[in-house]
Amino acid sequence: MFARIRTSILAASVSAAALMTLPAAGQEATFVLSTNEVGIPNYNPVMAVNTNTAFSMIYDTLVAQDADLSFHPFLAESWDEAPDGMSWVFHLKPGVKFHNGKPLTAAVIAKWIELFRKSENSYMVDAVDRVEAVDDLTAKFVMKHPEPNLLFNLSSSFMGVPDPDAITEMGDNYGISEAVGTGPFKLESFTLGQETVLVRNDDYAWESPLSANKGPAKLERITFREMAEDSTAFLELKSGGVDALLSVPTDYIDQIKAEPTLALFSIPGQEVYYMPINVTREPFTDIKVRQAAALAINQKEILENVFGGHGAVANNFLISALPESKIDPSLDISYDPAKANALLDEAGWKMGADGVRAKDGKPLSVALWTQSDSIFRRLTEVVQAQLKAVGIDAKITTFDSSTIRDQYKAGEQQLAVRSYFWNNADIVDWFFGGDRLGYPNISMFNDPKAEELRDKAMKGSKTQDERVQNFTAYHAYVTSQFPYAPIYQPEQNMAYNKDRLVMPDRIHGTSVTGVDMVDVSVKE
Amino acid sequence: MSLRRTLGPVRSALATRKGALAGLWLALVVVVAVLAPLLTPYAYDIQSLPDAFRPPAATHWLGTDEFGRDLLTRIIYGARTSLSVSVVSIAVSVLAGMILGAAAGYFGGRLDQAVTVVVDLTWSFPEILVALILVAIIGPGVTGTMVAIGVAYLAQFTRLTRAQIMTIRSETYIEAARSLGASDGFILARHLLPNALGPVLIAGMLATGDAIILEATLGFFGLGAQPPLPSWGAMMSSGSGLLFKAPWIILFPGLAVATTVIAINLFGDALIHALDIKTRLREA
Repeated sequence: MFARIRTSILAASVSAAALMTLPAAGQEATFVLSTNEVGIPNYNPVMAVNTNTAFSMIYDTLVAQDADLSFHPFLAESWDEAPDGMSWVFHLKPGVKFHNGKPLTAAVIAKWIELFRKSENSYMVDAVDRVEAVDDLTAKFVMKHPEPNLLFNLSSSFMGVPDPDAITEMGDNYGISEAVGTGPFKLESFTLGQETVLVRNDDYAWESPLSANKGPAKLERITFREMAEDSTAFLELKSGGVDALLSVPTDYIDQIKAEPTLALFSIPGQEVYYMPINVTREPFTDIKVRQAAALAINQKEILENVFGGHGAVANNFLISALPESKIDPSLDISYDPAKANALLDEAGWKMGADGVRAKDGKPLSVALWTQSDSIFRRLTEVVQAQLKAVGIDAKITTFDSSTIRDQYKAGEQQLAVRSYFWNNADIVDWFFGGDRLGYPNISMFNDPKAEELRDKAMKGSKTQDERVQNFTAYHAYVTSQFPYAPIYQPEQNMAYNKDRLVMPDRIHGTSVTGVDMVDVSVKE
Repeated sequence: MSLRRTLGPVRSALATRKGALAGLWLALVVVVAVLAPLLTPYAYDIQSLPDAFRPPAATHWLGTDEFGRDLLTRIIYGARTSLSVSVVSIAVSVLAGMILGAAAGYFGGRLDQAVTVVVDLTWSFPEILVALILVAIIGPGVTGTMVAIGVAYLAQFTRLTRAQIMTIRSETYIEAARSLGASDGFILARHLLPNALGPVLIAGMLATGDAIILEATLGFFGLGAQPPLPSWGAMMSSGSGLLFKAPWIILFPGLAVATTVIAINLFGDALIHALDIKTRLREA
């Protein structure tokens, strides 16, 4: 046993030595990826289920989206939508070359869109019937039905434009040793779960107008490190082992502010924490019990005490920046313990002496699932206590974050605490669509009226205004059935070493992407 | 009989200074765990979020955790979880291991081969890996943890018992007993198992220390006792993210694990000394 202590002391000193490796001089910087972006298997945007920040350094998109959700030219210089919405013409920027020297042409775009149909995210191109190469630089998207969301889809990180031939040739090896995009950085090396090293693309001259810098990026080399533990990442930043953290948990905000060498900046969040309620499992087949569980969640208490007041409460399924989040205020879900208790009484669940309700001798005891990341465990314990306050006895089961999706697929869950990261109303379709039961539809929600509204929202919107209207109606109806309880909307906090890095004044895009990274430089 | 055999060495173990100190600490932990509700005015599970992150003070001797719960109360109740999980799982493991090992060692042949193959298979994996796989199958929680730890250590006790039985089996007095017509069951119960008991009990005692660490490790991964039930490992795990904000949340449960495990090991060492069975343990 003492031998064991000795070994761990030895191990500790070895890792301490590793911590002391200083970042190399020159225009080189090391970033720590957000903990929820850890563990991507490769840099193949077509096959990705999750992407991380480095994707947007390797791949450019046809369209760029800014923080205010407006769209800007990128690989496409301009675009025109036909008045009936049945076709879009994209004019490509001339002179764009992939990392392997091949030019970007309309034919390449057509081939890529066909390849993308095999993707997990193929719904993004469902509305596209085919892409025609009118000439080398003009790509015409012929639509099956109008899709006002096309620009959003084309700006998403999943739709970074790769060289489709490289993907086909390399097959499963693509995106591990080699990745071919048009972005400002090239993949140099990728070690699964540890780090990704990118080097500057010296030919780069097709930056989005959102970037201040023209031509190749200022940084010559970027290392993205993956760290599962926030405390390790914070220590590395403090000791100078890394230059920036792409996400900072609220618990560290005060400590970062107290460090004279560190700077903190926030951009609007795109994440929503929520509690899915499985509508197919007793007792949640009763809408009154679902509503009561949703009303038992004290969003304000959670915001103040778990997240230190940073961010905002969530009262429905979408981030507040989206117009579709503005549903009828009477449908918004907020803490109302009196009503929760009344609903449970009405539903026949009577309060017992032990503080747990019961009906026909059966206690109101339910399973509450969570994932092993510390913030989810902490939040879930608070949710457990809040449910207990109205007489619902929730038993927590913790699953490893990497396996919980498979667990959901079996559909055995009753309640869960989780979050999603997305800034488009189509997330309602993703998590409540009747054909995705288990995962992503953890609530197992399959309601004929919702499906009708969903179909109208996904396929029947001709203009952006109409789409907003249709999605608002769909979102409102889903919310009125209580297949989930909204909890919290974080803001995105990032931190960097201001003695080392010069960051752009304002972050463009909905997170730090290649559009911003070309403007980052190291103080010399 | 076996009681006398065990109590004698325990007394002489307690006579040494480190043995006495360790024994005292263990007795204290057991008493505290048993009397938990009488010792603290706080409940281990009632949250009071506005009182979160209070540093150690007169009202909360060891401070409060991230939910405003009294940390000392959580550690006291956590001792219940740690002790019950480790003692029960090791006890079951020792019992099953002795039965398997004795049968394999005494009867030999195909039974021995089968037991050895299975035992060597689990033996070739680190205990934590076996435990993690089992918890993944059974599901997290106290019962899952007990089964996982019990199975993880089964190989050790089976091998130890088997080795003991095999060395004693061919002694002359066993042959004598057999020639007098003693049955297999009698020989095992009267002669073999009592002689094998000492080393196995010591190994069990030392394994209990490891089991506390294993339970804490599973708890650290969120796979042990599920909240609000406190477990030292789970407390350290939530404290690790708050290391800079509220270091006491990880510090005190960590100290509890460390002192208890060290005490168990010191006491085990003293017992080994008292029983003078070092060589036999090493042989096994």
